[in-house]
Amino acid sequence: MSQNLSRQASAAALALALGAALVAAPAAAADAAKEKCYGVAMKGKNDCKAGAGTSCAGTSVRDHQGNAWSYVPAGTCEKTASPTSPTGMGQLKEFKEKKA
Amino acid sequence: MASSHRAPPRGPFAAVPASALPASAGLGLKPEHFLDILATRPALGFFEIHAENYMVPGGPFHHYLGRIRADHALSVHGVGLSIGGAGPLDEAHLDRLAVLLDRYAPESFSEHLAWSSHGERYFNDLLPAPYNAATLAAVCAHIDRVQERLGRRMLLENPSTYVEFVASDIDEPVFLSEIVRRTGCGLLLDVNNLYVSCTNHGRDPYAELERLPLAAVGEIHLAGFAHALDSRGAPLLIDSHGAPVAQAVWTLYDAALMLTGPVATLIERDNDIPAFAVLCAEAMEAGRRIAALNETAMPA
Amino acid sequence: MNAPLFPAGQAWPDDFAAALLDPARPAPAGLTSWNGSDPAQRFAVYRNNVTVSLIDALADTFPVVQALVGVDFFRAMAREFVRAAPPASPVLAGYGDEFPAFVAGFAPAAGVPYLADVARLEYARVLVFHAADATPVAADAVAALLAEPATLPGLAVRFVPACSLLRSRWAIASLWAAHQTDDAAGDLSRIDPAAPENALVCRRGLDVEVRALAAGDAAFVAALMGGASLGEAIALGAGEPGFDLAGALGLLLAADAIAGFTPAGEGEQR
Repeated sequence: MSQNLSRQASAAALALALGAALVAAPAAAADAAKEKCYGVAMKGKNDCKAGAGTSCAGTSVRDHQGNAWSYVPAGTCEKTASPTSPTGMGQLKEFKEKKA
Repeated sequence: MASSHRAPPRGPFAAVPASALPASAGLGLKPEHFLDILATRPALGFFEIHAENYMVPGGPFHHYLGRIRADHALSVHGVGLSIGGAGPLDEAHLDRLAVLLDRYAPESFSEHLAWSSHGERYFNDLLPAPYNAATLAAVCAHIDRVQERLGRRMLLENPSTYVEFVASDIDEPVFLSEIVRRTGCGLLLDVNNLYVSCTNHGRDPYAELERLPLAAVGEIHLAGFAHALDSRGAPLLIDSHGAPVAQAVWTLYDAALMLTGPVATLIERDNDIPAFAVLCAEAMEAGRRIAALNETAMPA
Repeated sequence: MNAPLFPAGQAWPDDFAAALLDPARPAPAGLTSWNGSDPAQRFAVYRNNVTVSLIDALADTFPVVQALVGVDFFRAMAREFVRAAPPASPVLAGYGDEFPAFVAGFAPAAGVPYLADVARLEYARVLVFHAADATPVAADAVAALLAEPATLPGLAVRFVPACSLLRSRWAIASLWAAHQTDDAAGDLSRIDPAAPENALVCRRGLDVEVRALAAGDAAFVAALMGGASLGEAIALGAGEPGFDLAGALGLLLAADAIAGFTPAGEGEQR
């Protein structure tokens, strides 16, 4: 579509497009409606439980500012292609752990 | 300090019961169970929500809560008001609560004897406060304000705690009794919290139970805990809400029911949430104990 | 009622609060235990509860980010975020709005340059999930507009609250969609993460849906969301590759994104 559409042409194009969209939209909506027999995936984030009790998550001191990082593949990002990056996309740097 | 917990509650809402929940068993409402509940319409006494999860403009949470609330009694249980905090109450949060309570008109509103905000930070945990004259006055002032703003009496829940304060010079039953006497609020007796805190601080839960303001109990909570040890190897129980109710807590619950009479009882589960039918079975167990009490209490 | 219980700087609550998220600080003074056990070890239960519960809240909001980098990396990154930017509000549904920007500046994740934009998409899904309810425009109301085609270019679109558009230089829609299937790894190998994508995130009924948009369609929708008239938005859309007017309008209608049409300049802009 040209940027130099006259207002009339734009009106005509819009009328055609809206008409087509109206015909197409209910079909698309019906497709999406078929996939809805799962429950509610989102959780409530406020509760009054205690988390991991006496695990060390709240007390451990880790520091990513160190300079002795090593590369560690970790999650699904390893599977993504990396055509441009020499180190490869999806490479994570390991946290350096300090003793607290 | 005199504990006169049998005195009638005072305050502007004293004539209204702090809780209108039916004296039967209920469950916490979890989004993963919305569809099960609508499909099975279980014969539970009530559902309880955490208020903050529904402080959102719209969407599925309100859609399902509205439908479920139409079939069941509702308890709104706040976790973020920080009633035990040192600072002023968060008036914006009180406003949000007022909107929620207006919308769903629950049979009960409850909060915790704990704090969770300080300054500009919200910690998402129920944190402990010292028990002394200064904190007692502050907690009572906060509850007065909550009840005034919301136009109703509230229930206050006894906490699970892991530390105690050198600055405390009032014990928990007396502290709670004084709050109830001064503000007219009711007590949400969390039997698991009572068991956890007494274990963690070397106290007898049965002796402590009898000293609580039991005439003011409007609801009971039951939950499961996790086991840890303190640095001397003594048990340190964690209020994890991640396991079935422990046998020792069921036994303490029976003792509590003998003293309170039949009262609405919630099974709380927030971690490792099982299938809805599993939680229903646990609620039915509480319901059987309430019903058994009704039978034994019948005069011959 | 608003006076502090203790002078500032005393053990409770200032030191207690400060030590919760700072493991380098000692446990607050003034704690005790019945049996002489170490109060600092007991205080650590609170430290863990605060830290773990907030990391859990982030993990609920950002499941694809967590899958991309793995649970261990995610939780370590989230812990740094929680300590740097704890929530200000007790309503945790909105916690994490600053997380995508934190991820963007988080050096150990620099090898995954698309991670922050995937986080933006996941946060947008939460906002859309909880956004205010609105009735989408009825088909007959749209059909009625066709009676006067000359007015169409001057109309602006009023969007429902539960709708947002993300434009990214990374393949965020494909990366996100690949994690909704059982075979994320298989699907991911077919994705070029460096292909720019745009995502329309809308709630239709009770479900949040993510739809990929071509650059021209996205420019068109972005202009409409900014308050431009249909005529103005067409010109902007046509300036970029992949603009299909009927397709873009059909997508908006199918997504229940449109609340209504108003003469441009009179409607609320968003």
